[in-house]
Amino acid sequence: MADNHSEEHHHEEQHIGIPGYLVVFGILVVGTILTYTVALNDLDSILFHGANTLVALLIAFIKMSCVMLFFMHVRWSPRLVWLSAVGSFFWLAIMFAFTMQDYFTRGSGVFGG
Amino acid sequence: MQTQDEITGEFQRPKLNYLNNGTTLKSWLLTKDHKRIALMYLISVSAFFMMGGIYASIIRLELLTPASDLLETGTYNKVFTQHGILMIFFFLIPSIPAVLGNFLIPIMIGAKDLALPRVNLLSLYLYWIGGSFALWGLMQGGVDTGWTFYVPYSTTFSNTYVMAVGLGIFINGFSSILTGLNFIVTVHTMRAPGMTWFRLPLFVWAHYAVSLVMVLGTPVIAITILLMALERVAHVGIFDPSIGGDPILFQHLFWFYSHPAVYIMVLPGMGVVSELISNFSRKKIFGYEFIAFSSIAIAVFGFLVWGHHMFVSGQSIYAGMVFSFLTMVVAVPSAIKMFNWTATMYKGSISYDTPMLYGIGFMGLFLIGGLTGLFLGAIGLTVHLTDTYFVVAHFHYVMVGGQVIAYLGGIHYWWPKITGKMYSEFWGKISAMLVFVGFNLTFFPQFILGYQGMPRRYAAYPPEFQVLNIFSTAGASVLAIGFLMPAIYLIHSLIWGKEAGPNPWMLPGLEWRTSSPPPTENFLEPPVVTWEAYEFGEDSGLDLEEARRRAAVAPVA
Amino acid sequence: MATHVDTHGEYHPPGLQHQFEDMKQQEESVSIGMWMFLVQEIMFFGGLFTVYLVFRSRFPMAFAAGSNHLNVVMGFANTLVLIVSSLTMALTVYYAQKGNRNMQVILIILTMIFGATFLGVKVVEYKEKYDDGLVPVTGLNRKVKASAGEEHGEEPAKPCWEGAHEEHEYINPKGEFQWHDCSLAKKAENEGFLTPTEKIGYYNPASGQIDANKFRDKVRIYFWIYFAMTGLHALHMIVGLILMSWLLYKAWKNTFSAEYYMPVEMSGLYWHFVDIVWIFLFPLLYLLGRHFIAHGG
Repeated sequence: MADNHSEEHHHEEQHIGIPGYLVVFGILVVGTILTYTVALNDLDSILFHGANTLVALLIAFIKMSCVMLFFMHVRWSPRLVWLSAVGSFFWLAIMFAFTMQDYFTRGSGVFGG
Repeated sequence: MQTQDEITGEFQRPKLNYLNNGTTLKSWLLTKDHKRIALMYLISVSAFFMMGGIYASIIRLELLTPASDLLETGTYNKVFTQHGILMIFFFLIPSIPAVLGNFLIPIMIGAKDLALPRVNLLSLYLYWIGGSFALWGLMQGGVDTGWTFYVPYSTTFSNTYVMAVGLGIFINGFSSILTGLNFIVTVHTMRAPGMTWFRLPLFVWAHYAVSLVMVLGTPVIAITILLMALERVAHVGIFDPSIGGDPILFQHLFWFYSHPAVYIMVLPGMGVVSELISNFSRKKIFGYEFIAFSSIAIAVFGFLVWGHHMFVSGQSIYAGMVFSFLTMVVAVPSAIKMFNWTATMYKGSISYDTPMLYGIGFMGLFLIGGLTGLFLGAIGLTVHLTDTYFVVAHFHYVMVGGQVIAYLGGIHYWWPKITGKMYSEFWGKISAMLVFVGFNLTFFPQFILGYQGMPRRYAAYPPEFQVLNIFSTAGASVLAIGFLMPAIYLIHSLIWGKEAGPNPWMLPGLEWRTSSPPPTENFLEPPVVTWEAYEFGEDSGLDLEEARRRAAVAPVA
Repeated sequence: MATHVDTHGEYHPPGLQHQFEDMKQQEESVSIGMWMFLVQEIMFFGGLFTVYLVFRSRFPMAFAAGSNHLNVVMGFANTLVLIVSSLTMALTVYYAQKGNRNMQVILIILTMIFGATFLGVKVVEYKEKYDDGLVPVTGLNRKVKASAGEEHGEEPAKPCWEGAHEEHEYINPKGEFQWHDCSLAKKAENEGFLTPTEKIGYYNPASGQIDANKFRDKVRIYFWIYFAMTGLHALHMIVGLILMSWLLYKAWKNTFSAEYYMPVEMSGLYWHFVDIVWIFLFPLLYLLGRHFIAHGG
């Protein structure tokens, strides 16, 4: 039982190979340059208030997803790993949302508060 | 397995078991055996319980009289703070997971050890290191901020050893995280062949849920303590409203962990109670999946209600209403468990052994504690009850009446497995009853006191509250005796107790299918599981009559 | 192991620990274990992100002002440095699986060089803050005594929103946090996008004008968050470098192969996580106010 794994276990071992890793690296570099140049433009007045932040976070999210899926091999990992990754961000979202619901509604007059 | 004398029925201790497999100090301190680690936790946790109990006794002595005469207020502040810190962080949170969870989970799933034994040992070391820092701080002069460390007192005005004790709690938090991490991995990867998720004992489900809370919540208290410490040193002002900071932010971060922490405390207790009720009613637990999923539901929903500790703090009323509503919702899974346990007992063949007495005690006391939690969660009523003794009574009902009683029940239930010895059933029953009576006498009057307006954390109170306080202190004395007695007869049993044999209670669980005490690798042959959880059928080979006959014949301890 | 009685007599693959039946079980366990550790790390940093979120939503202009004072070139460079180190780390895992010892060693060394570069740049940045009086703790800034003959209030002090581009002489006898420029607050006031908290927090209630000290206090909170978040991140980088040293030693001894490479993969997970934290820190700390000054604001 201990030895018949060498073949079947590593069938997807190389995943995307060196060219793949370099492509992901390229995406990350492009994303970094993009986020810097976009930050210099005032999207807040063109689009809506908070647009700059939204775009910056979106680009950061895409970069993070590239690192997680390809460098950290989440794309080829069992579902439990996916669940851990997604779940932890969900938990962060709980912490942010439920804290900010206090700050956003203070002095708002809702329910007399 | 264990050999048994043909005539007397007495069991012989297995020659080589985890207790005598290696007798040097090094073999214990550097062990990777989860069972030895559990025993070392047991001793440490009991020591902290005793220290916390001494602080509790001092509190109750002071509160015998209305005036602040035994202690001055500053000292009293330190006493209740330290009682809270020792009990919550160093006793309640580790107790069942680190002692019973560590010992039993691998055995219950049919594994040789936890998945990551060295991480387990690191957990123990971190617990000792954290505990040492906290104790050092206590001995240097202690802390007086309340276990909740609210700012700005803890960061700006308190002249006590906040940093040392905070550091101790910070380190201890990582002990907790590593234990939870280990359990999650173990339940996923170490189950024996045939041990599917839905054949797991509910004790294991409860610990899985608890582990999720430990991993997701504890880091936040770690960062909160770090922020408080930095603020204490640097005085930047993130919690100072005059500079633009917000003290409520500290409370949000603190309670984000500390509310789920109470579920870290109680969920393992519920896991123990599921085992006790089902096994001592000799009946398959009612609604297995409901209980399993309700543990997960409590773990998840527990993260959504922390603001119910902050209703009068200054958070927005809208947030208060959201948290209040969700607090009502989080009570539902706990109620589901109560119904299922009760249904399990119905038409069961109940034996009122000591562990079962604790189990039933849990049900009644947790019920009261839980219901009074609803009073406190209702945003209108809570304004009257906040910061009164009503709150104190509520959390002692769930934490002591719930968790501590479940812990004692579990210790008594699995004592034969852990040590291979039986304790005195007579003294066990007496202690259980003393604990129950003493507990109620201590804490029920506090509901009335709180409702009548006695504030918490005060050394002095108006004279009209004295009578109930005297009842409470009298109850505390009885409770103290009830807690001390097991220490005596359990230790007595180690030397003079009857050999327990592999399955003294005649039960179907996997832990009862190995010798008592178990061998280091838990099972002589790796088990293959072909039966469902809590199988009490005719063909499970557990003859209750045989068990009763043996009990009648064997000499009383 | 000396005190542990083993009841098996079978062949154990190299690196297989005694509690596991086979390598697959060990790999699965170690992987879930590391991911659980990362989950708790996410929540650990998450607390600081919450603090950031709360304060930025309350005092956005102070945050923008503080952010603009960070060295964006260094921040940008550091981001790229970490991304390159992530690439070299991923390739290290690739070569570990192939059992290619030399490539592993080269790539680990490269990863460490980039990691150390990151830390070096951070040291330079922190030193800049020290020199400019931007460390939020009194006493931890460059101390410069007022030269003899100068008094504190020379001319009538200009309001803090004027003279934004002038150089203030750096006088800092106590090493306190220094901030003089509240022009962004004035801009927000003029264009009407101050938050309700800002409308109270920046203003002197008596004069109804923006108060330099009050604005400075909010900027100080920004810099505190900057130091706390990047400091915690740098601490994790240091731990990462220590981890890499251990990995280098093991790789040098040719420990890893297709059969046994999980320690490399797990170290990689940690390294990538630290990179991801920086991917968020860079825009949130360095870039949030650039659009105010880019077109001459």
